[in-house]
Amino acid sequence: MRRNWMIVLTLLIVVTMFAGCSGDKGATGIKSAEGDSIKLSLWHNFTGDDLRARTMREIISEFEAANPGIKLNVQAIPPDGYRARLKTVAAANEMPDVFIMWPGAMTKEFQGGGLIQPVDELLQANAAWKDGFLPGSFDNFTIDNKVYSAPMSLTPTSILYYNQSILDSHGVKVPQTWDELLQAVRTLKAAKVTPIALGNKAAWLAQSSILSSLADRVTGTEWFIKAAAQEGAKFTDPEFVRALELLQQLQQEGAFQEGFNSMDNTQMEMMFAHGQAAMMIDGGWALTNLTANATPDAIKQMGVTVLPAIADGKGDPNTTSGVVGVGLGLSAKTEGKVKEAAHKLIFAMSGPEAQKRTLESNQLVSYKVELDKSKVSPIFSKVYELVNDIQFTPVYDGMLTSAGADVVNNGIQELLMGGDPKAIAAKIQEAQAKSLGK
Amino acid sequence: MRIGTARKLFVGFGLLPSVLLYAVFVVVPVFWSAYYGFMDWKGIGEARFIGFDNYVEALTHDIFWQSLGNNLIVVAASVFGQVPLALLLALLLSQGTWFQRFVRASVFMPMVLSSVVIGIIWSYIYQPQIGLLNGILSFVGLEEWKRAWLSDPSIAMWMIAIPIIWNFIGPYLIMFLAALSSIPQELNDAAAIDGATRTRRLFSITLPMIWDTIKVAIVLCISGSLKAFDLIYVMTKGGPAHATELLASYMYNNTFNVYRYGYGSAVSTLIVIISLLLIAGSQILMRRNNQ
Repeated sequence: MRRNWMIVLTLLIVVTMFAGCSGDKGATGIKSAEGDSIKLSLWHNFTGDDLRARTMREIISEFEAANPGIKLNVQAIPPDGYRARLKTVAAANEMPDVFIMWPGAMTKEFQGGGLIQPVDELLQANAAWKDGFLPGSFDNFTIDNKVYSAPMSLTPTSILYYNQSILDSHGVKVPQTWDELLQAVRTLKAAKVTPIALGNKAAWLAQSSILSSLADRVTGTEWFIKAAAQEGAKFTDPEFVRALELLQQLQQEGAFQEGFNSMDNTQMEMMFAHGQAAMMIDGGWALTNLTANATPDAIKQMGVTVLPAIADGKGDPNTTSGVVGVGLGLSAKTEGKVKEAAHKLIFAMSGPEAQKRTLESNQLVSYKVELDKSKVSPIFSKVYELVNDIQFTPVYDGMLTSAGADVVNNGIQELLMGGDPKAIAAKIQEAQAKSLGK
Repeated sequence: MRIGTARKLFVGFGLLPSVLLYAVFVVVPVFWSAYYGFMDWKGIGEARFIGFDNYVEALTHDIFWQSLGNNLIVVAASVFGQVPLALLLALLLSQGTWFQRFVRASVFMPMVLSSVVIGIIWSYIYQPQIGLLNGILSFVGLEEWKRAWLSDPSIAMWMIAIPIIWNFIGPYLIMFLAALSSIPQELNDAAAIDGATRTRRLFSITLPMIWDTIKVAIVLCISGSLKAFDLIYVMTKGGPAHATELLASYMYNNTFNVYRYGYGSAVSTLIVIISLLLIAGSQILMRRNNQ
C-alpha cells in the first residue's frame, strides 16, 4: 500500500515538472493585447561606468521619456559577453529589433544570414545627417550598395604615445622616421629606460596597433586590399616580408620590455601612464585608461603622433590605421509601426546630437563635429587634433578573414620571439587563401 | 539482497527523471557535437555536410598535435605530481594534530579560490618586472636565473603546470585522508606484532587498501587535465604563438574567435575520444599492477 502511494507521489512530481516546462512556453507564446503602445526591443553594451556608457544610457532614457507611445525593452549586456549573446540569438534567428553590432565581418555574417535590413530609408530621409559623416564611414557597413548601419564611434588603432619629459631628459626628439625611432630606442635602452611598452598577451595588439600601420607604410593600402582579397597580391610578396622584418628589427634592438608576450594591454597602458616607458604604440581605446590612471601632471607630459615614416615605403606616412566603431543594426523581421519607432531610436542614438555628446564624453566619432575642448581631457583633444589632420587606412583584422587574422596574431608573437619572417608570411598567406576558398 | 521485479521497476521509475536530465544535458550534446563536426558551419546560416574533412584537418594540423603534447604535459604533471604529493601529504597528515590540521587547510585552500584568481596571482608571481619569483631571485643574488617565465616558449608550459598542481592537490588530499581513515587499525597492529617495518606496512597494507581510491584519483586527474582551460586562458591565452595551447583552448579559439563551429565541434569530439582512450589505457595498466 505504501509503495503505491510512493508511485503516485513520484508520478505527481514528474508530471508537475513537465507541466512546468510547457506552462512557461504557453506564457511567452501568447501575444499581449496591449493598447496602442509599440513594443521595441533594444540590446546594447553600454553597461560601464565610463563617460561614454553613461551618456548613451542618458540618451536612451531621454528617448523613453520623449516617446511615451513606444515601450522599450532594453537589455544592457556587459561588453565581455555581448558578442557571444548576440551570436547565440543570431544562431536561433531571434534578433532583437535594434542592437549594437560591429562593422565588417559581423555585419557581413548577419547580412548573409538574412538577419538584418538596410537603413537606407532612414539615411535618405535625413540627408544632412548622412553628409555629416567622415568619408568612408559607411564602407564596412555597406554590402551590395546597401547601408546596414551608421557608425557611432571611430577608433584609430595605431597612435604613438610618448612621454615628453622622459624623451627630453635623454635628449631624444619625437621620432619622425624609422631611423630616428631606432636611434631613440638605442639611446633610451643605453640609459636603461624601456623605450616602448608593449603588452601582447592577447596577441591582437601588435597586429592592430603596430603591424597595421607599419605594413601600410611599407606596402601601401592598395597592395593590402588586394592581398586581403587574394586578388593580384600575396602575403609572401617581398614588401610584406619587409614589413615583418622591420617589426622584428624593432624587437631585436630591444625596444620592448622583457616579457611583453605575457602582459596584456591594460598592464602596458599602466606602465606608460606611470612613466615606466618612454613610448607606447596603442589605439584610441587607451585614452579612457590613461585619463583614469595617470595624474593630471603626467597627462600634460603625454603627446601623440603617428607611426614614423619608412624611407622608400609605398604608403602615405601621414595616416593611421583605424576602424569605425559599432553601429545600430535593425532586425530583418522588424516591420510597420515598430520599424518606424526603430528608425526614431536609431536616429536618437546615432544622430548628430548623439554624435556630439559622444565626442564630449571622450570618444572619437566618425562625424564632423567641432570639439569644445573645455569638456574633455587634454590628451583626448590632442588625439582629436591628430586624427583630424590625417587619413585612415585599413586595420588588418578588420579586412582579413577571422582565420587569417588569427594566424597573423600568432605569427607576430612568433616573429617577436625570433621566428623567420618568410615562414610566417607563408603561413599567413596559406590561412588567408584557404579561408577564402582559393 | 534480492530485489523483486516490482521493486526494480519502481527504482527504475524513480531514477527516470535524473537519467532523462543526464541524457538531455550530457549524452545528447556529446553526440550532437560529434554530428556538427561533420559540418562546415559558421554558427550562423546554413551548415554544409563535408564528411570527415574537419576531423582529417585537425589530425593533420601541427597545432592540434602541439596542443595534445601540451595536454600530455599537464596530464603527466597531474598524475605524477598531484597524486604522489597528495598521497605523501595524506600519510604525513593523517594524525590530525593542531599543526597537521593547519597544513591540511592550507593545502586545501587554493581549491576554494576561483581559477581566475589563481591565474592572476600566478601571473603576478611570474611577472618579469615586478614579479615575486624574479624579485626573490635577484634578492638571493641569482640575477642570471631571472626569466620572462610565461613568455619563454621553452619553459612556459612547465611554469603553468606548477599552479595546476598547486590548485588541485587539495581534493586528492581529502580523498586519500578519507581512504586512510577507513583502514582498520587492527591490520596495522597485527602486522606490527608480526614484526613488519613501517615501510613494509605501507606497501603491504596501506597502499593495497587504498588502491581503488588511487585509481579513482588518477582517472579524475586525467579527465581533469584534458579539460584544463581556465588557467591557460587567464595566464597566457595559449600563447606566445601557441606555445601553451591546450586542446580545450585550441577548440575554444577555433569556435569562438575564428567562428568555425563545425571544426571546433570536431576538435571537442576528438578530446572526448582521447580522454576515453587515456582513461581506458590507465585502467588496464593499473589492473596489471594490482595483480
